[in-house]
Amino acid sequence: MANIVRVNPGLGEEVQRFGADDVAKCYHCGNCSATCPMSKEPFLIPRKSMRYLQMGADERLRGNLEPWLCYYCGECSDQCPRGAEPGETMMSLRRWLTAQYDFTGISRLFYRSAAVEVGAVVVLGLLTGIGFYLAGTYLGGGDLNIYDGPRAFLPAYGKGGSFFSFGGVHTFDWAMGVLLAGLLGINCLRMWYFTMFNDQAPKVGIGAYISKLWVLPWHFISQRRYSECDKKTPWLVHLIMMLSYLTMLILIMFFLHSVHYGPEIVWQAHAFGYLATVGLLFGTVYAMYGRANKVNTYHKHSHASDWLFPVLIFYCAVTGIAQHIAHRTGFPALANVIYIIHMMGVVPMLVLEVPFGKWSHLAYRPLAIYFAEVQSPALLAQARARQSAPATARAA
Amino acid sequence: MSNHSKVGVYLCQQGPAAQSAIDLRAVSEYARSLPGVSHVEIRPTAWVPDPVQLADQIRRSGFDALVVAGPSPGHFKPAFARAMAEAGQSPEQVRLASFREHGALGSLDRAKAVVACAVHNVPFGLAAKLRHTVVNPATLVIGGGVAGIQTALEIADAGFTVFLVERSPTIGGHMAMFDKTFPTLDCAACILTPKMVAVGQNANIKLMVCSEVQQVTGAPGAYQVKVLHRATRIDASQCTACAACAEVCPPRVASEFDVGIAERRAAYMPFPQAVPNVYVIDGEACTWVQSGGKKCGVCVKKCTKGAIHLDQQDRVEEIEVGNIVVATGYDVFDARRIERYGYGKLPNVLSALEFERLTNASGPTGGKIVTKTKKYNKRKKAEEWVFDLAGAAPRNVAIIHCVGSRDTNYNKYCSRVCCMYSLKFAHLVKEKLPESNCYEFFIDMRAFGKGYEEFFERIKHEGVHVVRGRSAKVEARGDGMVLRGEDILSDQLVELPVDMVILSVGLQPTRETPELARMLGLSCVDDGWFEEANYNIEPTGTERGGIFVAGVCQGPRDIPDTVAQASAVAASVLRSIVGGHGLESRGDLSLDEIEKGARDLAPQMQA
Repeated sequence: MANIVRVNPGLGEEVQRFGADDVAKCYHCGNCSATCPMSKEPFLIPRKSMRYLQMGADERLRGNLEPWLCYYCGECSDQCPRGAEPGETMMSLRRWLTAQYDFTGISRLFYRSAAVEVGAVVVLGLLTGIGFYLAGTYLGGGDLNIYDGPRAFLPAYGKGGSFFSFGGVHTFDWAMGVLLAGLLGINCLRMWYFTMFNDQAPKVGIGAYISKLWVLPWHFISQRRYSECDKKTPWLVHLIMMLSYLTMLILIMFFLHSVHYGPEIVWQAHAFGYLATVGLLFGTVYAMYGRANKVNTYHKHSHASDWLFPVLIFYCAVTGIAQHIAHRTGFPALANVIYIIHMMGVVPMLVLEVPFGKWSHLAYRPLAIYFAEVQSPALLAQARARQSAPATARAA
Repeated sequence: MSNHSKVGVYLCQQGPAAQSAIDLRAVSEYARSLPGVSHVEIRPTAWVPDPVQLADQIRRSGFDALVVAGPSPGHFKPAFARAMAEAGQSPEQVRLASFREHGALGSLDRAKAVVACAVHNVPFGLAAKLRHTVVNPATLVIGGGVAGIQTALEIADAGFTVFLVERSPTIGGHMAMFDKTFPTLDCAACILTPKMVAVGQNANIKLMVCSEVQQVTGAPGAYQVKVLHRATRIDASQCTACAACAEVCPPRVASEFDVGIAERRAAYMPFPQAVPNVYVIDGEACTWVQSGGKKCGVCVKKCTKGAIHLDQQDRVEEIEVGNIVVATGYDVFDARRIERYGYGKLPNVLSALEFERLTNASGPTGGKIVTKTKKYNKRKKAEEWVFDLAGAAPRNVAIIHCVGSRDTNYNKYCSRVCCMYSLKFAHLVKEKLPESNCYEFFIDMRAFGKGYEEFFERIKHEGVHVVRGRSAKVEARGDGMVLRGEDILSDQLVELPVDMVILSVGLQPTRETPELARMLGLSCVDDGWFEEANYNIEPTGTERGGIFVAGVCQGPRDIPDTVAQASAVAASVLRSIVGGHGLESRGDLSLDEIEKGARDLAPQMQA
């Protein structure tokens, strides 16, 4: 195993631009890895990543799953004798990895510059607003006073004889969904390639992939791994937030007809919709309050991207509620206007965050846990072999 | 200054302006008023001198000499010298005014004086002359540890009086508590007690135990010191150390000498070889004193010499000395502060000093290494964990390095002795319990002294497991304990069942150091240790003339280094006594005095 590690001396500085502290502070006492409840062989976090970072071993880091196995409870940073902030370094590595997986390079731009990321959100938001307004008025020739149904200002399912003859807003939803899923999919494939095919990764057969497949949906839905941290509250809040988001996504993508069309909205849609909204508001307010007041160690350092994600979701939730109220209380014109305002947040949030931003962790985290599970037995066997090798050598 | 008409002064800010005690604007105002200075400017932090630009300025302004001032302006000199040469001037006329070198970092007047001397082209040391005073040949040594003992003996043996003030009832300090010294494995008591006895027998040494320095006034060469003598309640001149008082004394309290792992009475002697070898009574614990004379008093009746006077009061004595030596040593880090090691909660997690006493032949188990056992204490009516001869020998002993040291959450410095004493512990464990497993969890091994590296090799060959990686926590599991750490060389997590954990706690300045520093007018470094006059070339002196520092109170060090420094201090003290002049602090001179001195000397310097 005479693998030559290519080093990139600028790596530490590069990752510092993603939010990490000075990596040279770490003197490798191993306190962090021993403290971390997630640190289990063969994946010892976070010290090994700190070492790769100090060495500048960017290829090793790129193929490293360990940052995704950390949920940043902050124990390691609290106890670090050097103030090297290993927890925040893992967080920064996740940003850096997201940029590595992204083949377009947009993610890297966003993470390195808050101005670019926020600017992109604003520009795309304004474009969305203008686009929707034009679609409703000049192109669609709609009536601002009609909110739902085929004759609506912005019909969900289209109407013949106008701009919307190709379909409605919902058709656009699906088109965008497919496009974003495609982009994210390519990034996920790159992640798979980087992490499963490098000089450190063991060879694994298709059988391992199949036998561990259950990990993906299970960890996605339950976030089971997060619950193994010593602190349970962050897991619970995150779970509520994620389930609420998922519920909303499913409602909009698959049950739009029963959400959008009043006044005969079915009660199930109401129940789920309200629950999800409450969950989203709670989750985002909790995150923003925590970051603003630096409540916990994991709130101490906030990268621009840490703010943007909850702020955008909060924006979408609040405007969504306003739109719903306007609609239900019989102000269709107002509902239409707020709808456009709502979409000015939703579109940038999805287009920029799903493949290039923090949203992508919805895919990367479960995938990383899955890949780790797939690799785990082979890595453990390797470690055992390595340990017994010197003993046999001595005996011989 | 007569033949120079134009001096340019460059004041260089180094480090953030907010953190600097020197107001450069005030210095620049002052520099402007000096004769010959034609231009003063302040350069901001991170300024990089450009020789070409500077040469231009020198030519335009016609400077024939430059003063470069700042905390450490040395690294600017080459650029300025080049600029001078480029401008056709003598590069030798670049004069540095270093605030750090002349101890002016904390004093504006001092900084001004340093600049003035540079402008006059007179070395600061010459302008700020030492004053010659008559020196009182008596010396005060504060602290009776090995540093204080060594200094006191050296000075007293030369024939001069020494007042040795010690807070506890015996001299000896921490060294007297140790079992062995590293790396020679000498019995600490065997090499220290002869020195202690020599102190007790030396007619030139006025030993003052149970005493504290209360006030220091006067000037170098003639200090007046108030010493508080706490009541020992036993007349030392009559006590024969028969122990009759201790035998009958009812109260039991934790023994300071045994760091709480054994008990003593209110009437006690810290350990049998104590110097002075007399009993004292601890008023805090004494039933008679606490009850205002209503209860007990049984020791008075038992004392055949009638040496016990329970109503004795504290008294203050005034002494006059010429020099003062500070040798106050250290406190050990309180491991309770790091909760995850369980010290104070888990009975068999020990601090280094506790293990030192446990393994010491004069300790509570006679030197037998055992784990604590649970016993019912009839007096307290509660169960407690105690060291008992019947205790079981530990099978797995872990020693954790760097507890409270090299840690930004506690003390950021390296305590310097812990690596070696930990190795010594490992040796003692393997020597006394060959069947046991002993693990050292270290981060970096600091075995830097003579014979230290060899000692490290030796204990490795004795079968001690040396693990690189600091362990993160110690937890109770079942009857025993589990230690969790990472062996970073093999990238493996370690979960080790252990019976005894020894925490290698670091050293820190004593609680009283800030107060003593105020009393003596000494400064302390960021970490809290006393600041020496110059770290490299005057490590024993201080800013205050006639006051010296010896041993750990100046910074962590081991016994050989402490003794060496203590002897060096004695040499400095003797020089001042024999030479007849105290080393007057230059800090006592006013700005005007130094400036005048420089102006007077300037013509001589030109010649």
